[in-house]
Amino acid sequence: MDKVLCSVATKGRYFTTLPLVLSAIINQTKLPDKLIIFDDNDEPQDMRNEFLYQHFFNILNAKKIDWEWLYTHKKGQHHIHQAANSMGFDWVWRVDDDAIPETNVLQKLFNAIRDDAGAIGGAILTPPLQFEQFSPTGLLANIDSEPNIQWQNFQKAKEVEHLHCSFLYRAGIHDYNLGLSRVAHREETLFSYGLYQKGYKLLVIPNAITWHLKNPQGGIRSNAKEEMFKHDEQIYRNILGFSGQTIVVLNCGLGDHIVFSRLLLEIPNPVVFGCYPEIVPCRSIAEAQALFGDLDQWNIYKKMAQWNWTDSLENAFRKLYDCHSPIR
Amino acid sequence: MIVIHPFAKPLQNDGVNPKNYPYWQELIALINEPIVQVGVDGEQQLVSDFRKGLSIQELKQLLAECQTWIAVDSFFQHLAWSVEKPGIVLWSVSDPNIFGHTENINLLKDRSYLAKNQFLWWDYTPYNSEAFVKPEEVVYHLTSLQNTTI
Repeated sequence: MDKVLCSVATKGRYFTTLPLVLSAIINQTKLPDKLIIFDDNDEPQDMRNEFLYQHFFNILNAKKIDWEWLYTHKKGQHHIHQAANSMGFDWVWRVDDDAIPETNVLQKLFNAIRDDAGAIGGAILTPPLQFEQFSPTGLLANIDSEPNIQWQNFQKAKEVEHLHCSFLYRAGIHDYNLGLSRVAHREETLFSYGLYQKGYKLLVIPNAITWHLKNPQGGIRSNAKEEMFKHDEQIYRNILGFSGQTIVVLNCGLGDHIVFSRLLLEIPNPVVFGCYPEIVPCRSIAEAQALFGDLDQWNIYKKMAQWNWTDSLENAFRKLYDCHSPIR
Repeated sequence: MIVIHPFAKPLQNDGVNPKNYPYWQELIALINEPIVQVGVDGEQQLVSDFRKGLSIQELKQLLAECQTWIAVDSFFQHLAWSVEKPGIVLWSVSDPNIFGHTENINLLKDRSYLAKNQFLWWDYTPYNSEAFVKPEEVVYHLTSLQNTTI
């Protein structure tokens, strides 16, 4: 059975919406295998001393849900999500600290898992409802011109190109972009679209409602500066500019380039950034750094370490660039 | 003619690369063939014919002309693989199952010498001359490779 980690990143909401979120998670009809609360507060507290939280922890124990409370490094929620993404679970259910899932949400999302699914989301509703009558496409190209498809309780499951806020995703397939600023604007759009680009389906399903209260107090993105949003928006636009292409970044040695060069024809519509244009025709690594902010998601050595790799370097490149994905 | 590529890339901490074979002098003395060494400035010259700083095209040309080659785990073994010229790779701490090619003869003394983490810079791995096969074993495999390629 696939193991599910529930990940909640929190800041400034110890005594407002976070308890509602934890209560909702504890009362799911399908329980996660583990719950991790990533505490990003400026002055983190030991919540074991708080009456309400003592009971939360006791109930988690009584229900045999493994849980951890982790203090984070204040780098932004993309770093937190990437940590959850890399913890060895099959699926991660990301839940915001002001987004309250109805009791059936994880069950519904989990039941919708299929072999080609990369992520599954439900409706993310903010009362009072404003978007009851619309028919969005869920295509990334329309992201600026239509409301998000998840802002309504739709009637039929639909495939989309990006997801929003809270969803269940296949872990360890695609990395969060750690080049974003601390505000991590567009992080979930970039992440979910990355799964889509790797050939996985993104699904939105009906009757899995999460109530997003949009708590004006606290939040991981509090104290954000305008330039952070601009910086992240630029990275997002840059990546969007390569949609339909496979971005390849060879920030590695000469030998690695030579090995990769034999695979180039297997990669659909590649655009290559690298260090040795005499081996693989490429644009510069400096340009990739400027465009995408962070190149770790393409670092073949980091990926092999993350995968506990024992097969060949050649096949590691194949896995990274999904050359023979059964779903492509 | 045999081509040798004796040295892996220098480490950033100026230490000895744990992939560098310790018995080149002894090995060269056992080979009764003309030997061309390839490498870069600053590397120890082991034979009279040391060609430094060759381009990728020049190295490919040399590979086309040579009978076979011997190298440590470096870019050179990948380059030879890319032009389908089999040779001998002398391994120690890096894993031939990951970084090698089955078309070559991969001489690893024992997997117990492999670095636990294969994906860090080699600066963090101590040098151990015991991790390498002896020159006589290399010559034995060189002879068998020469016999199969004739």
